[in-house]
Amino acid sequence: MKLGRAHAINPAAIINQIDRMGVGAVPIIVLMSAIVGAIIAQQGAFQLRYFGAEIFVVDLVGILILRELGVLMTAIMIAGRSGSAITAEIGSMKMREEVDALTVIGLNPVGVLVFPRLVALMVAVPCLTIVANFAALGGAMLIAWLYSGIPPEAFIDRLRDSIDLSTIFAGLIKAPFMALIVGIIASIEGMKVGGSAESLGGHVTASVVKAIFVVIVVDGMFAIFYAAIDF
Amino acid sequence: MVLIEERQEGQVAQSRDVVLSVRDVTVGFGDTLVLDGLSLDVYRGEILGFVGASGAGKSVLLRTILGLVRKSSGTIHLLGQDLDAATDEERLRVDMHQGVLFQHGALFSALTVLENIQVPMREYLDLPRALMDELAYLKLELVGLPRNAATKYPSELSGGMIKRAALARALALDPDIVFLDEPTSGLDPIGAAEFDELVGKLRDTMGLTVYMVTHDLDSLLTACDRIAVLGGKRVLVEGTVEDMLACDDPWVKAYFRGKRARQIDRSARG
Ligand SMILES: Nc1ncnc2c1ncn2[C@@H]1O[C@H](COP(=O)(O)OP(=O)(O)O)[C@@H](O)[C@H]1O
Ligand SMILES: [Mg+2]
Repeated sequence: MKLGRAHAINPAAIINQIDRMGVGAVPIIVLMSAIVGAIIAQQGAFQLRYFGAEIFVVDLVGILILRELGVLMTAIMIAGRSGSAITAEIGSMKMREEVDALTVIGLNPVGVLVFPRLVALMVAVPCLTIVANFAALGGAMLIAWLYSGIPPEAFIDRLRDSIDLSTIFAGLIKAPFMALIVGIIASIEGMKVGGSAESLGGHVTASVVKAIFVVIVVDGMFAIFYAAIDF
Repeated sequence: MVLIEERQEGQVAQSRDVVLSVRDVTVGFGDTLVLDGLSLDVYRGEILGFVGASGAGKSVLLRTILGLVRKSSGTIHLLGQDLDAATDEERLRVDMHQGVLFQHGALFSALTVLENIQVPMREYLDLPRALMDELAYLKLELVGLPRNAATKYPSELSGGMIKRAALARALALDPDIVFLDEPTSGLDPIGAAEFDELVGKLRDTMGLTVYMVTHDLDSLLTACDRIAVLGGKRVLVEGTVEDMLACDDPWVKAYFRGKRARQIDRSARG
């Protein structure tokens, strides 16, 4: 007899969530990041052209994407895509008394429903951030080549000089925090859902809006923190 | 009322085993009290029908007993255990020996019927997979579901099948007491009658105690041993159908002797 309450971590549930929230998000993250990278490169090149410093567009996109935009756009996309899904899933379980059924059986809803999703997000968001970084730099590289005539080899050489590992980590370190923010806000909103469909819709909206807002505020606080410690 | 109390004392004297004892329980949301000093006993092996107007607080009492709603005062003993004083281990023992059928089934929508039935088994029993499947199929058969329902998801089931599957899950660990919240609501009369029969059969074969919230007069008449009526935030009257018919409370009168109840009236009077 096992006699219950040994809330074993369920690896199958976590892997299933990573597949849905991580692997499933790759196409849209690649597309969005590549487009944003291309736009920044074009705008940067256009402005820098007046100063005859068009090559500096590589520094601009490299630092901007790796430190800020890659992780920020990923977090916003995940807040919209997975945050809403988490709130809707937990909320509809709340609505149909499935959460009460879990409690009555003696299972802890946080352990069963929230924990696997949080772990999956903590794994998926950093990986997606790396994917977003590559895609955005790829989009920027293409535009630098077509619009400014900077060949890819020159782009990569220049990028090597302008960034180092700390630039990459400055962005990547934020990813797990963003994952936690999205996951926790989405789970709390899901647990607040009452008995009606309107309540479910309202909390899904609140989940996405709050998560995106907090993600942006936290990104700003990281920027202040980095400035303060000269990172 | 005096008569009823005497009757109850008689039962205690016969030392019938009290499985669930609710004493002076008060529950409120904000300023409004839903239950005020409610007391109720449920004895081992009986089917208690719990009735009351819609919104009277039947589900709230059930949820309070299950620990899903906080009460502001009173005590609840379930399976001999004071739920407020229970340690984790004692609470676990109680959880293992109760089963609940929620009003809308509350099957886990991401799991198949078979997996639903196995959720409590996984939590409490360390069994090999094949044996657990075997057990779950037995429960399916017990509640009268076909074997091919096992691999279906709750969204693919009819209302009656959902209730049966939820009952199978409630029975997964062979509990001592099951709580049913309006098990026959939303079922056609034939399905409802079958369900009542099933509950009676389970009580007879498993020695189950059944606490059944219901609006179904037929259930009360055919399946229940005893009836308790919730009104005015407490139990208005409890006893057999005859006691209900003899009661002077206007709501009880209207409920048991109204137009829809003429049938009972006639059959009870013979
Ligand atoms: N979580 C809650 N918050 C506030 N009021 C509630 C809550 N749950 C139930 N109530 C109120 O308690 C009363 C009894 O509800 P309920 O027990 O569901 O009725 P029923 O007897 O039909 O099952 C209703 O008036 C309902 O509005
Ligand atoms: Mg109810």
